[in-house]
Amino acid sequence: MAVICISRGTKSGGQVLAECLAARLGYPILGREVAQEAAMQLGVSARTLEEKMSDRPSVWGRFSSMRRMYAVAVQTSLAERALAGHLVYHGLAGGLLLKGLPGLLCVRLIAPMRIRIEAVMDDLGTDASASERYIHELDDARARWVRVMYGENVADPHLYDLVVNLETITMEGACALVARAAEAPELAPTDAVLDRQRDFLSSCRVRLALATDPELRSLELDAEARGSLVVITGQAPLRSGGRTGELIHSLARGVPGIQEVRMGVEWFDPYP
Amino acid sequence: MAIITISRGSMSGGRAVAECLAARLGHPSLAREILRGAAAKLGASEAVLETKFETTPRLWERLSRERERYVLAVRTALLDACLEGDLVYHGLAGQFLLRGLRGVLRVRLIAPLEARVRMLMDGHHRMSRRTAEDFIRNVDEERRRWARITYGEDVEEPSLYDLTVNLRILSPESACAAIAEAAAEPAFAVTDEVRAEWAAQAAECHQRLDSMAEKAERWP
Repeated sequence: MAVICISRGTKSGGQVLAECLAARLGYPILGREVAQEAAMQLGVSARTLEEKMSDRPSVWGRFSSMRRMYAVAVQTSLAERALAGHLVYHGLAGGLLLKGLPGLLCVRLIAPMRIRIEAVMDDLGTDASASERYIHELDDARARWVRVMYGENVADPHLYDLVVNLETITMEGACALVARAAEAPELAPTDAVLDRQRDFLSSCRVRLALATDPELRSLELDAEARGSLVVITGQAPLRSGGRTGELIHSLARGVPGIQEVRMGVEWFDPYP
Repeated sequence: MAIITISRGSMSGGRAVAECLAARLGHPSLAREILRGAAAKLGASEAVLETKFETTPRLWERLSRERERYVLAVRTALLDACLEGDLVYHGLAGQFLLRGLRGVLRVRLIAPLEARVRMLMDGHHRMSRRTAEDFIRNVDEERRRWARITYGEDVEEPSLYDLTVNLRILSPESACAAIAEAAAEPAFAVTDEVRAEWAAQAAECHQRLDSMAEKAERWP
């Protein structure tokens, strides 16, 4: 049993594989809906969130706190759905959003350009040349987004557990071999794995609480939970009366299951 | 079933996966045996062939046809072995030597650097961390250069393979199960037609090898 994340280029068969795996393994399937759930939590439109998640970040937007907030919101929604220990996700950047989650199987699909072009021509009614341009544009935008947000090359095979080439392997074959890998004992939901999955979700929830607070939103804070303890790291300004520290404590303790907050924050003087 | 070639970096678990597949599918697992076969065809020692085949040619060597002859001898030996029956090949360059042939599942195995370094630090190698890291980087770089010079390809490029498996989480046994599943795909079935294709390729290789040997004798 595993949480399967499928990464692929535009029109490379990701959704078809996800549907096949979900039917074969009896897992729930999740794609773009995760962005809608996250948008509802944030009180923004799904379109705004999707644009922030998938568009190329502008120079000034790269380190934008809003962009981080959207990514953390999607990560948290995804972690909520992954808590059952079995899921097929075929939306953007699943492997990176869930990096570190135990029981995670990351799959990358690659498909020959001619097949992808045919799929776009069927869908959009464009000619071969426009379809190829469309594919390159979307692929490039996603690759840039992953590079900017995570510093990774989306095509790097080291990011995945399996890279399946649909040039020779059929979709049914891909589905069979990924399903077989998902049954690996290393991915079994043991008690220890389930504990770590709960810790992962608690970490996400604390990160989201910090990222959505108007006073803390601009800070780059991180959280790692282990049981009822959470460790907060990052940098924050030292304000009179320890207000920032108190706020972090209070928000973190507001997350279900968190009872102790340990501060690993580097404090700096905002008015040196 | 299929011929399976396994490409991997040094200490990336290639042998363990190849042996698991061989046991599971009932095929022989071959690597050095192919080099030995090629050496016999050339009347050269295995050590000489290993040097000529596995190391990056120097500039002047790239201009001579000697290297080409050694590579061709290994391809011929591998094709001959394929004609004898299904096999798992985990020696160097299987994905290039059998490129374009039907009935061949080309697998790339990768593993995190840390796990590979640990394999050299533990067990009978007992290397220091620094030596182990240097060793792996040097071997990887050497193989990358070799593939670039000999075939003009980046050995890390996923589209060269039908399947890439990362052993960061999956064990060699789980990788083996997934690869065996892929090998059952119709695209890798070894039909009479496929076998005839291999036989034609092998015959052509033998012919070219004989012709190169003749020329080498005439103009040594």
